[in-house]
Amino acid sequence: MNLRFRRLISQVVFFFSANLGFKIEGIFPGLKTGFCYPFFYCHACPSATAACPLRAIEIGVYEGKWNWKLIFYPILIISFVGVISGRGVCGWACPIGLLQRVTGKVAKKLKKKQPFLKKLGQHRLEPYLRYLKYIVFIGLVVVTPILVGFMFTDICPVGYLVGTIPISILNPGEFSPNEFFYIALVIFILFIVLIFTVERGWCRYLCPIGAMLAPFNKVSKYQVSVDKDQCIHCNICSNEACPMGIDVPNMERDPECILCGKCIEACPKDVIKFEGR
Amino acid sequence: MKKMSVVQVALLVLIAVSFGELVFDFSVYEELFLDFNIYDDVHDTIVSTLCLSCIKLDPVSRLDFVFETGNGEEHPEFVWKNLTKGPLFIEYRSDVCKACDDMAPIVKDIFNVSFEKEETLYKLVNYSGLNIHFYHINLDHASQAQKDSFPIYDKDNIKGVPMFVVITVKYDRGTIKPCYTAAYGTLGLDTDEERRDLLIDMIDDGVKLYEQNREGYKYP
Repeated sequence: MNLRFRRLISQVVFFFSANLGFKIEGIFPGLKTGFCYPFFYCHACPSATAACPLRAIEIGVYEGKWNWKLIFYPILIISFVGVISGRGVCGWACPIGLLQRVTGKVAKKLKKKQPFLKKLGQHRLEPYLRYLKYIVFIGLVVVTPILVGFMFTDICPVGYLVGTIPISILNPGEFSPNEFFYIALVIFILFIVLIFTVERGWCRYLCPIGAMLAPFNKVSKYQVSVDKDQCIHCNICSNEACPMGIDVPNMERDPECILCGKCIEACPKDVIKFEGR
Repeated sequence: MKKMSVVQVALLVLIAVSFGELVFDFSVYEELFLDFNIYDDVHDTIVSTLCLSCIKLDPVSRLDFVFETGNGEEHPEFVWKNLTKGPLFIEYRSDVCKACDDMAPIVKDIFNVSFEKEETLYKLVNYSGLNIHFYHINLDHASQAQKDSFPIYDKDNIKGVPMFVVITVKYDRGTIKPCYTAAYGTLGLDTDEERRDLLIDMIDDGVKLYEQNREGYKYP
């Protein structure tokens, strides 16, 4: 079984695990747990199994009332996963990663057809855009809930995708938009445009969970490593394979690597591999 | 490589001990963490409650008074008892809830009461010459009995806060029984004035029903 297929199975299994909260009268009671997801998913989804870690942190810091348990709980869950596999969870488990696996194919084709998008990806400022996710995490998940009570989850596009849309469809006429609805709608549209134009655009630039997991790539047990002595620098791994746009031959525990293994499959010299150390 | 393994093991031990403390309360950091079970807390207040701000929607209010409770359970004892003296108004909220913060001043103004958002308050208030049992229940700090009453009055099975409930009595096939209505969020309305008017309509309807049927109500 090749790596791509194994990863697909893993993503599908995690997608269903994240959605066991649905209830079928008389058949299945629905599994609602008290855990936080270690990836990006919204507990407002009617079938959600666990809590959004960002919402837990936001509630923990809200208006400066430090609920330490609620702050540490999701952080510890994410840290545990992070120490084991770094951002591997983004590549192998996250349902939004699975969605971007589909949209990434369109993004890849668009990139080939539209030189503008290719240029944008190679722009000298592009690496700096990756810091946006840290700003989103610190700014909207931690600082604004403390200072002004405004939370990232108020405008979260994933909440819109898996919460707002299904709930509106399942309960027609029973809900009306709140004050953040239209702002969130605009952000959701931008999110859709982003993931259809830039491969793994959400993971690269804006995902706050990715921001939490990224530093763990520096110490994680599992990582992708390159035998630099054997590498012929054909750059197929970077230019053709890597969905995160990483300079693979020169990477050393890169915080952006999601351990998807596409570079491993693409390498003509087999000098890239998963390593557990 | 050895150094890295030491770092990984140290981190995993630290995470495991801290996580164990959070979930199982080993009381290692007793002074830091309050006495509540985080797993149950996340389950009850985040996963099982519909996050209205996460879905950016407010439920549309339908103010019909119904007999059947939200989860099919019997009305709680405090409701049966209080109905002998007047209808009940219950406001359910949680600590972190923008819509609750928006609605609180309106509720305070209508009933002329004051409360902090974290506290749970009960007061017998005079409303248009009639006693109304006023409850402000913060689900993050409420008693188990109060928490249990939340799904009972979640008429539309929204599981979201704020939820405003008016409980009164009404005729049903030969007997006078408790009935209630519930409204949610910012009531699906844009201005404070509209929200205030709707809440007053809801309370007035409850008061009217109570006055019409109070003579027939028997506390079991």
